[in-house]
Amino acid sequence: MIEFNLNGKAVRIDAPDDTPLLWVIRDEFGLKGTKFGCGIAMCGACTVHLDGAAVRSCSMPISMAQGKNVSTIEGFEGKHPLQEAWIEEQVPQCGYCQSGQIMQAATLLEQNGSPTDEEISAHMSANICRCMAYPRIKKAIKSAAEKSNSAVNVYDPASSVEG
Amino acid sequence: MNLLNNFSKNKTEDSLQPSRRKFLIGAVNSALVMAFAPLTMSLTASASEVIKQNGFSPSIWFEINTLGEITVHVARCEMGQHVGTALAQIVAEELGANWDDIRVEHASSDPKWGFVMTGGSWSVFQMYKPLSQAGAAGRITLIEAGAKLLGVAPKSCDLKDSKVISGNKSVTFAEIIKQGKFDRTFTPEEMNKLPIKSPDKRHTIGFDRLALDVPPKTNGKAVYGIDVELEGMVYARPIIPPTRYGSKVLSVDDSNAKQIKGYLGYEILKDQSNWIEGWVSVIAESYHSAIKASDAIKVSYKSGDTTNVSEQDIIEEGRKLVNTKSAGVLFVNDGDIDKAFDSAASTLDATYITHTAMHFQMEPLNALAEFKDGVWHIHCGNQSHSLTLPAVAKALGVSDDSVIVHQYYLGGGFGRRAYGDYAIPAALTAKQYGKPVKLIFTRPDDAKFDQARSASVQKVSAAINDKNELVGYEHNISAGWPTLSMAPGFMPKGIDNTGNFDPFSTSGSDHWYTIANNRVRTINNPLAQKTFTPGWLRSVGPGWISFGAESFIDEVAHELKKDPVEMRLAMLDGKGKNSGHHPQSVHGAKRLKFVLENCKKAANWGQKLPKNEGLGIATSFGQEREMPTWIACAAHVAVNPTSGEITVKKIFMTIDCGTVVHPDSALAQIEGSILWGVSLALHEGTEVRDGNYVATNFHNYTPLRMNNMPEMDINFVESKEFPVGLGEPGVIAVAPAIANAVFNATGIRLRELPMKPEHIRQQSKQA
Ligand code: FES
Ligand code: FES
Repeated sequence: MIEFNLNGKAVRIDAPDDTPLLWVIRDEFGLKGTKFGCGIAMCGACTVHLDGAAVRSCSMPISMAQGKNVSTIEGFEGKHPLQEAWIEEQVPQCGYCQSGQIMQAATLLEQNGSPTDEEISAHMSANICRCMAYPRIKKAIKSAAEKSNSAVNVYDPASSVEG
Repeated sequence: MNLLNNFSKNKTEDSLQPSRRKFLIGAVNSALVMAFAPLTMSLTASASEVIKQNGFSPSIWFEINTLGEITVHVARCEMGQHVGTALAQIVAEELGANWDDIRVEHASSDPKWGFVMTGGSWSVFQMYKPLSQAGAAGRITLIEAGAKLLGVAPKSCDLKDSKVISGNKSVTFAEIIKQGKFDRTFTPEEMNKLPIKSPDKRHTIGFDRLALDVPPKTNGKAVYGIDVELEGMVYARPIIPPTRYGSKVLSVDDSNAKQIKGYLGYEILKDQSNWIEGWVSVIAESYHSAIKASDAIKVSYKSGDTTNVSEQDIIEEGRKLVNTKSAGVLFVNDGDIDKAFDSAASTLDATYITHTAMHFQMEPLNALAEFKDGVWHIHCGNQSHSLTLPAVAKALGVSDDSVIVHQYYLGGGFGRRAYGDYAIPAALTAKQYGKPVKLIFTRPDDAKFDQARSASVQKVSAAINDKNELVGYEHNISAGWPTLSMAPGFMPKGIDNTGNFDPFSTSGSDHWYTIANNRVRTINNPLAQKTFTPGWLRSVGPGWISFGAESFIDEVAHELKKDPVEMRLAMLDGKGKNSGHHPQSVHGAKRLKFVLENCKKAANWGQKLPKNEGLGIATSFGQEREMPTWIACAAHVAVNPTSGEITVKKIFMTIDCGTVVHPDSALAQIEGSILWGVSLALHEGTEVRDGNYVATNFHNYTPLRMNNMPEMDINFVESKEFPVGLGEPGVIAVAPAIANAVFNATGIRLRELPMKPEHIRQQSKQA
């Protein structure tokens, strides 16, 4: 039995230790916003936060989530400044990569309130967008950064639970 | 020849085409419903009765309920192009509707829609007229009913903000629907005559609207095929045999799988259509268990006969074919090409090669199949019910009308989800195992079952007369043909009647330059054809054919010591067959000339650049000559002479696609297409080895990432002409523009895609 916090709620799951966190999130807890793209940590579609760090849930055995805070795109409840910027800049095309892009971008803004173009590219090049919506991803990150202009404003539901 | 007509005419009865149908407007369940009905359907009852009795739901084009909500039913899939938004805009325009009142529904499969395919960059081009006319019929109906309620003459009324307005009186659509009575039929002739709003009165077309599919794609709520679950379903993963065709399972040993928790068993799939042969499906309670179990299972096979085929074999076959006189099918034959070459002062030829390229759409292939109450329900994102449904039915050995395909968002299509053969193993597993089955391909499975863009070889030859003019142009092209494998009934005859050809693998060779003598032969590569299923990959034929054609024009210009842009401009005279026709290609080659001049200016053609940098230019005319999207593209590159690395610094593109319905989506499509073009030119590509693609996942197939993104300068021509396609055309001219730029930077001519640093290094060593 493995126990962890999922978007601020305590959950427990009886699954083989080596089950990737991705499939537990999607198929056991029904949070389908986190996507499967490659299974080998090369595309970023499955990105979630583990204690605030962006991780590839496809390559993270569930045993490593024990006692940790996991947050997914659903945890942002549509209120994250990046989500607003994503709509304003009309970023998604097919949209399949975008949960992962937003989760990845969120950790950039937490460390760096006003990233340069190069810093954005360096951080985001871990994530593939096959539709190649890159120009808009970049623009949206910049506009979200300008608007919040501070790392502390970033909405994190897990923090309210952990205090 | 219009490829789309070619597709639909063969498959659907003419009576299903909107232009051959009656348009019915009636009230059903207190909503105003507008639907098309085949002419053959008897209309003795009122329009409302007919709609009600025939359970018309799927072929309803749009409806307005008593809350004033307008739902547009779209028989096209959403795969990133925001097509629902653009199509709804066309209806909203004619109705004078408030954008906030608009909803879009994506239809599931039903033969009443006629032939449906989201591909070929066709959607707006194809739907613009019928949707405008349907909207116009709705407008007339609302005005008549509204005028009655207001006690004014219909003539005095206009539609605005979802209201009928006359002077200072107005009534909302919602009120009209609540009180009005609707029963009206328009004949096809009446529909054709309906006045469509003139461009200067537009309030929706040509303006930006927030795309309706965007918000759910930012919060995890958008439902893709892979997200669908059904009560009682089990998971499955396929074990794909060593060759694409002709493999047979000899034995299966699952003793090691039995230790795996959740493992339920396996099935050797029996496909009645033989599309898939030698497949084993592994079933488990969770997908992770299915993956582990399939890795633990040992299958022994008798393989098909392509186990030794390599990329080089396929290319050598192609090389032989393009050099064989009169191989393949004659596609263009203007003037007298033989005479032009016989009497030439000099000749020039070049051979271009493109390597196998793959889809790697972000969402791996998957489908969920359930048999319920005598009907097969297939849940998956797909680009064409019309191609997918019959394929599944045939594999199951059932009739088409016992299969329904349910539509979801597509995590990328790019042509891979047109012929939805990935639903076949899901359906067969469900049939044999007797439960609803969700079958998911891992990324390596997906790659192995890809329908790659075939490797290609093309040879282009020029005849030059004694006045230093290009007077003969011969183009022989060869590749595996997607349409031959997946829709062979859709292949037209060549002009010499020697055989049928794949128009999608030929389009792009029928250019708009005026050259007196011009011949094109299109040749299937049978070795490619039998080794894998050649696929339609975004930009399809023009995506690789134009690499040869537009590189070669540059080579000729350099040989003749002419400026390659000036030489193109001179050949774009819009004369003869290049004058175009109403409505879609009106003004013909002159529009291509216009975008080329515009792009030349934007890129500052002729500017002095630093050493090892160069500008290159190329043109394209969309997915097909009958639906030209006029494009000129300039690439600014820098080449590292030691490492051979090519950096694309900036891409300039000028586009004339007629009326732009949704400018922001149009821009997004061009941004994505340009980057696709760069990616296919420099970063993608694989090879066939031992009968399979070498690339298996994103570690060895490497589409462009954000750090390789060039700057882009994109210009749309303002136009009121008929809208054409935008999903793919932006890809086409990028690769030849880069190749031409590399030549201008270094003097090295690259004739192979993808262009690799080692190609530069090899050639600079030779020099
Ligand atoms: S699915 Fe996890 S990184 Fe690709
Ligand atoms: S939006 Fe399609 S993969 Fe990124």
